[in-house]
Amino acid sequence: MMNSMNNVEFLNELVNSKFNVVKTEIINAEQMSFIVDSRDVHTLLTLLKTSGWKQLSYLSAIDWIKEDEFELVYIVFNWDRPVHIQVRTRIKRDRENASFETIIPIYPGAKYYEREVHEFFGIKFPGNPDFHKQLILENWDDMPPLLKDFDPRAYSDSHFEKRDYPEKHINLNNQESKQEKRQKRNLKSLLLRNGGKK
Amino acid sequence: MKKVNSIFTPWRLLKYLFKKPITIPFTKIFTQKNANYLNQNSIIKLNSRLDSEPREGADNIRGFHTNDWEECIGCGTCADICPTEAIFMAERLELPNEDGKLQQRPTIDYGRCCFCALCVDTCTTDSLKMSKEYIYSNSDPDAFLFMPTDTFEGQKVKEGYVKDEVSDLLDLKRVENPHELPEERKSSFVEIVRGYSKEFARLEAARCVECGVCTSACPVHMHIPQYIKAIWEDDIDGALRQVYETNPLPGVCGRVCTHNCETSCAIAVRGEAIAIRWLKRYIIDSAPDDMYENIILEPVSDVIDAKVAIVGSGPAGLGAAYYLRVMGYKVDVYEELSLAGGVMRYGIPAYRLPDTAIDKDINFIKHIGVNIKTNTRVGRDITMDQLEQDYDAVFLGTGFMKPRGLNIPGADHNRVVGAMEFLPKVREFERGNLSLEDIDVAENVVVIGGGDVAFDVARSATRLQMLKYGKSSVKLTSLENEDSLPATFDEYVEGAEEGVEFFCGNGPQEVVVENGKILGLKLWKCLCIFDEKGGFNPEFDKECEQIIEGEQIFIAIGQAPDYDYIPESIKDKISINRGKIEASIDGQVKDVPWLFVGGDILRGPDLIGGVSDGHRSAKAIDAYLYENAKKQDISDSLKAMREAVKESSPELTIRQGGKK
Amino acid sequence: MRQMKLFLGPQHPGMHGNASVHIYAEGDIIKRSYLLPGMLHRGFEKGMERHTWMNNIGLIPRVCVVEPDINEMAFAMGVEMLANIEVPERAHYLRMVILELARISIHLMSYGGLGGPTGLYTLMYHAHADRNRILNIFEKITGHRVYHMYIVPGGVRKDFPVGIENDIHEFLNDLESRYTEYRDLGIENPTVLARIKDNIMLPESVVWELGVTGVGMRSAVNKPYDLRKVKPYARYSEVEFDVPVYDYSDARNRVDIKLNELVQSIGIIRQCLEKMPTGPVRAKVGNGQSMRWTVPKGQVYSCVESSRGEFGYYIVSDGGTHPYRVGVRGASYPQGLLGIEKYMPGTRIDDAPLWIDTMGVCSPEIDR
Ligand SMILES: Cc1cc2nc3c(=O)[nH]c(=O)nc-3n(C[C@H](O)[C@H](O)[C@H](O)COP(=O)(O)OP(=O)(O)OC[C@H]3O[C@@H](n4cnc5c(N)ncnc54)[C@H](O)[C@@H]3O)c2cc1C
Ligand code: SF4
Ligand code: SF4
Repeated sequence: MMNSMNNVEFLNELVNSKFNVVKTEIINAEQMSFIVDSRDVHTLLTLLKTSGWKQLSYLSAIDWIKEDEFELVYIVFNWDRPVHIQVRTRIKRDRENASFETIIPIYPGAKYYEREVHEFFGIKFPGNPDFHKQLILENWDDMPPLLKDFDPRAYSDSHFEKRDYPEKHINLNNQESKQEKRQKRNLKSLLLRNGGKK
Repeated sequence: MKKVNSIFTPWRLLKYLFKKPITIPFTKIFTQKNANYLNQNSIIKLNSRLDSEPREGADNIRGFHTNDWEECIGCGTCADICPTEAIFMAERLELPNEDGKLQQRPTIDYGRCCFCALCVDTCTTDSLKMSKEYIYSNSDPDAFLFMPTDTFEGQKVKEGYVKDEVSDLLDLKRVENPHELPEERKSSFVEIVRGYSKEFARLEAARCVECGVCTSACPVHMHIPQYIKAIWEDDIDGALRQVYETNPLPGVCGRVCTHNCETSCAIAVRGEAIAIRWLKRYIIDSAPDDMYENIILEPVSDVIDAKVAIVGSGPAGLGAAYYLRVMGYKVDVYEELSLAGGVMRYGIPAYRLPDTAIDKDINFIKHIGVNIKTNTRVGRDITMDQLEQDYDAVFLGTGFMKPRGLNIPGADHNRVVGAMEFLPKVREFERGNLSLEDIDVAENVVVIGGGDVAFDVARSATRLQMLKYGKSSVKLTSLENEDSLPATFDEYVEGAEEGVEFFCGNGPQEVVVENGKILGLKLWKCLCIFDEKGGFNPEFDKECEQIIEGEQIFIAIGQAPDYDYIPESIKDKISINRGKIEASIDGQVKDVPWLFVGGDILRGPDLIGGVSDGHRSAKAIDAYLYENAKKQDISDSLKAMREAVKESSPELTIRQGGKK
Repeated sequence: MRQMKLFLGPQHPGMHGNASVHIYAEGDIIKRSYLLPGMLHRGFEKGMERHTWMNNIGLIPRVCVVEPDINEMAFAMGVEMLANIEVPERAHYLRMVILELARISIHLMSYGGLGGPTGLYTLMYHAHADRNRILNIFEKITGHRVYHMYIVPGGVRKDFPVGIENDIHEFLNDLESRYTEYRDLGIENPTVLARIKDNIMLPESVVWELGVTGVGMRSAVNKPYDLRKVKPYARYSEVEFDVPVYDYSDARNRVDIKLNELVQSIGIIRQCLEKMPTGPVRAKVGNGQSMRWTVPKGQVYSCVESSRGEFGYYIVSDGGTHPYRVGVRGASYPQGLLGIEKYMPGTRIDDAPLWIDTMGVCSPEIDR
């Protein structure tokens, strides 16, 4: 434990002395994150790699739709100084043109991760020869599905037949449905919350 | 020793050839039903299938569900949590319509179910369990849609996965609401319950499962789960709007309502009900006045040329006035006393309901244009005939404000006091309009009665004694035993904390008077209260007699109406039954169509019942007047508001004798 | 020579899970190869965003069919990290028992899987039969055989049933007594050995290039790079075990490591059963009823040592009742995709299934 805390200090030293880190989070003795400007990502990753963080554990993205930004996350690991580092950066959430230079030259293992991010978020990775090829979603005909505005329910409703259930278990006993009444009323009261506006 | 690897070494495994296999042959895993089914439906008929004995699952196995319909309350929480949306609630209107239950039961699509048992872990009642049955086959997909009952495929089955304390996903413990301590509170009229902070209110709100069984138990059908959710999401504004659609006295109800909702709360089946009342109070307490301004969509100006007079400003009167006003009528409320509110102002003690809370609610009702004329007694300052002339309709909500006496020897003594004689004075004392000397409270008092009113009297007397003498001595006697007191349990507990002594299960026989002074009350043990037919006819054991000492006796055995203000000409046309005026469900008196009644004089027994009567009558009055009234052009928003009032007008609850 | 396109899978006895490898071969040597995932894509990451923190336990174990518990564990650890929850001591040990039983079961399965490409089905039958006994134990503990939904944020769902220790000990003893038989049947069996010795190499440089972890990495770099040792979670710091390593990664050594790990797991479980304290097994995650539990804002990566290496969840919370984003790092993602593209070529066609098996490629965790 002692040792691992030293690792965090070591990293703090190493990174913060050379970079203008927007925010450093120490999650625990074995994990920390550096949030940096998008221009610094490659040099920071290079530094980390040469300092022993040789393994790219994970690479992905987050769609912050309200802030109109994509966040890219790189997680690297050093087996001898066991700290997982998240390197995070934000780029504009430009649905057509969002792009970020590949990190294949630093971590060759990023090739397929980037391809997957492109498929699920639509972010382009220039420098990666295959990023645009489809990987998992065969014949996909909608927006990249991990975008927050992609609604899987609407997608499946429009692509697949909805199953009709037999009503054999329902017994209305010749009365009108109370359930429907309740549902209608609940819906109305929800609208009430903002003063009846939709 | 170096091992020599030979291609023959593996042959030693041949020994297993003659051992009993540890796997189970496929043909042996069918239930009898399934074996039959398969044999009927497949080309190959296997006898081995027929005599198969399926291996029994582990004790904990998550097999097909069972659901005990007697216990299940149809709350639908299981359907809400199901991650695969496998459950839908099927309506079963043949089930009895009871408070705290919905007439629906879960139906499970086993094509979707992932057997996670989250539904079991969250079930509010423990009715939903899993069985040891895990084998079932059919070629018809619809046959996988089951409505679990306490059997599986009609057979009794063994219990598998059930929830325990660890796996329970509900929060059964109520978030504490700070109370004043007994020692401190009993010498003042400070409000006992302090009210939730925002943090605590949100924690409490997080316990709600949004099932809505409470809604139908509430006489005005408040949007309870919805406003609790709004609190949880910290949307006071939205919560306030939802509250005001069905209840114009939320601050009052948030403190003293009889909370039928909490009694029927699904969480209360196994745990402590959500503190619905306190949460409602939290909304009102934390809504600033300017937020109230915002919830009035559009100031109501008189748009319908019809006037309604309301007699009595209790909850029924105010309820009717509020909704009539929102529907566009001109409304005048006549109140005999100097403050509006009825029993809330003059009966319920301030330690339960301070004036500030009443003011907040009533000010808003005034604010939307309801005109309240206090110090005006109908029958004295203005006659009913006058009202009939000046107004298009009249609503009576004059309540039960008169004390009811007890017919026993000595009861005519002037230190035998009725509850509604005493309590108004206590409130006036608390307001500073009366001094301690003006109120007669002896050092030792006896209270007769076992309901909330008796406790109000006993606990108020305690406070006055503390202030006057520095010590208290209050005895409470009731026909009912301590375990069946009609008062709420909280009253009993808090009363005991404050030092009230109980002599329950006894009937008062005589006020013992000597030399013009009261010495005490003679009690006989009460054997039973009701006769075989269920009528009130107490029987006593004379042998078990005791006299409890006290110099003053309070009688809190009920209140009575005062119909003196109604002229004979009208009285002839109405029938009064046990003090209540007979009228239609929404309060219209049959032979006097312009006359409507509500509250205690129609139905009772509580505040919110009064509000619901008022709301129903408002709708009925509108129906009675609207056609013939001259109207100005009605704006769209008023139209919407009128519709909303009519639509939200409550049906009778099961308790109020609504349809089965 | 003419190039021929072949499909290995998605229906193939040598293929693990529903993925397929497109192979371009000249003669019987693979010249180019690609993994074609997607046949098993269930949209889990999207689905998790649409389930509450607790409801997700219906989903997460299904990411990986044979070793579901690591999913539950990584997810639970992540949520606990975000919400700062102290897991009760006993729960740590219960979790370790589950995880190690699962490790044994999947090592057995993967060892048995060697039977497919080598034509030695006996091995598979035996391994599966023994795995079945682990499933019986799981059934008794959790109520389920495969998807246990047992390790949940805050601890475990329920305490162990009374007497389960006996079942576990009995099974472990039995497995231990049969250990040499297992070795003899497979890894010491000259017919098998001929296929796996000095075959399907994984040099250290490739490990670092791709980011391979787990057995593959340890067999090549000769260092105990096991998350349970390097970054101990649960109470792995409290139990003694060795991490088997090699400095020469051929198929045989990788299989050998798995078998050695199996022995280690037996030891860990025994220690856990002995050491586990009594007490509560689940801590509160949120307030109120489970559908209203919220988890504080934050982003964490939590990972565990699965049978195939570092298996991780990246969890983002915006403070709400649902995760904002969950990303799953499948342990075999690097070798399964880039590995097959870059380093499977050169292998003989009939070794391709062996390649996939001994490199530990598992398609469900790639697809998700
Ligand atoms: C001591 C006590 C405690 C109670 N505690 C609770 C409680 O905690 N929770 C609860 O839900 N219920 C409680 N109740 C019951 C509840 O107060 C009544 O059911 C409710 O107030 C009835 O409302 P109402 O509108 O019918 O009339 P009331 O509240 O009785 O109001 C009638 C009003 O009409 C006025 N009035 C009467 N005659 C005339 C006239 N001729 N001209 C002008 N004005 C007139 C009166 O002055 C009074 O203001 C309690 C009752 C009592 C007596
Ligand atoms: S067991 Fe799980 S999936 Fe099945 S009905 Fe219950 S909650 Fe739904
Ligand atoms: S949660 Fe329980 S009580 Fe509620 S509907 Fe489901 S089975 Fe019935």
